[in-house]
Amino acid sequence: MGSAGTAVEEDTEVDIASGVADPWVTIVWNDPVNLMSYLSYVFESYFGYPRAKAEQLMTQVHKNGRAVVSTGGRERMEVDVQAMHGFGLWATLQESGARGAA
Amino acid sequence: MTPFRAMRRGYEARFEPVERVVLARVARDVAEMLRDEAGLDLFPDGGELGFSTHPAPGKGQAWANGLLAPDELTDADLARLTGVTGVGRVPTDPAARRLLPDASKDDAEVADEFRRLTQNDVASAKVDRLEAFAALLDLPTGEDAPSPLGRHGAPPPVRVPREDAEQFAGALTDVRLVIAERLGLKSDDQVMQLTDEIMWDRQAGREIPVATDGRAARRFWSGVFVAAGYAQETLMDVMLGELRGRRPPDAAAASE
Repeated sequence: MGSAGTAVEEDTEVDIASGVADPWVTIVWNDPVNLMSYLSYVFESYFGYPRAKAEQLMTQVHKNGRAVVSTGGRERMEVDVQAMHGFGLWATLQESGARGAA
Repeated sequence: MTPFRAMRRGYEARFEPVERVVLARVARDVAEMLRDEAGLDLFPDGGELGFSTHPAPGKGQAWANGLLAPDELTDADLARLTGVTGVGRVPTDPAARRLLPDASKDDAEVADEFRRLTQNDVASAKVDRLEAFAALLDLPTGEDAPSPLGRHGAPPPVRVPREDAEQFAGALTDVRLVIAERLGLKSDDQVMQLTDEIMWDRQAGREIPVATDGRAARRFWSGVFVAAGYAQETLMDVMLGELRGRRPPDAAAASE
């Protein structure tokens, strides 16, 4: 998992709160084509995130090149990644505990 | 092209006839490219398996052995039951790979399995919505059709029903992704610079040249890319506005 690194750090708070680590994450990567408003729309409409969270994730994608947009079991993340690809976003899934998530 | 506006029967914008024709044409081209690249010709509409000119080595052997599925099973059902769709092959065209990307950067097993399970569904959905997008943009034709110039000499607006708007925006995204790949646009700066150039030309009243050489073709496709981006940006404005309007005010106002 060479590029795991920092992208999974966002989720530790959720893990502690629920007491159960979400084993996988969905990551959306920046691309030069997708509009910021489109990213916000996808995060608000598909995930149902409030505007503030959607815009924070959108900014993260744009500035940092990527953001963790959802966490959960592998099958759930496959559903999310498939949906993101449907929207035309470049998304990947990976195990959250791979590195740097503790 | 005018910005999309929220109207009673949907989102409406006025496109120049040439904008409608070109965007419809490129959407159909993208659909065809995607169908080829994803191997959708393995699953023609009738449900019967067609003869594949693109056998996927290894993964497609269940089909090659004559194992046919009952008609009511969808490709996705088959994929879940068997883990085999026969269309998990990786597209070779970089633009198709952008529309059907690897689901893992560093784990080939994860990426391969994901492609096997989902590629057929994702590609089919994209093809369908690209074709619907093109059909919506088509100018009325035939003897019964009203004049393409409409009653007052203006072209009829492009009207996107609300229930189709997300699909329309998705098709615009796919079209823009493919054109950007063809133009070699790799960075935010390149896209911004190109957009500025096109907008500058437009303000200066320069016409989009007919594509007779490489440079003119590049300029032409740059113009299409920017026009599609403008359509999407203005459509997103009204869609986001309505989406947020249905939310509790605290959630919508939290970030401002």
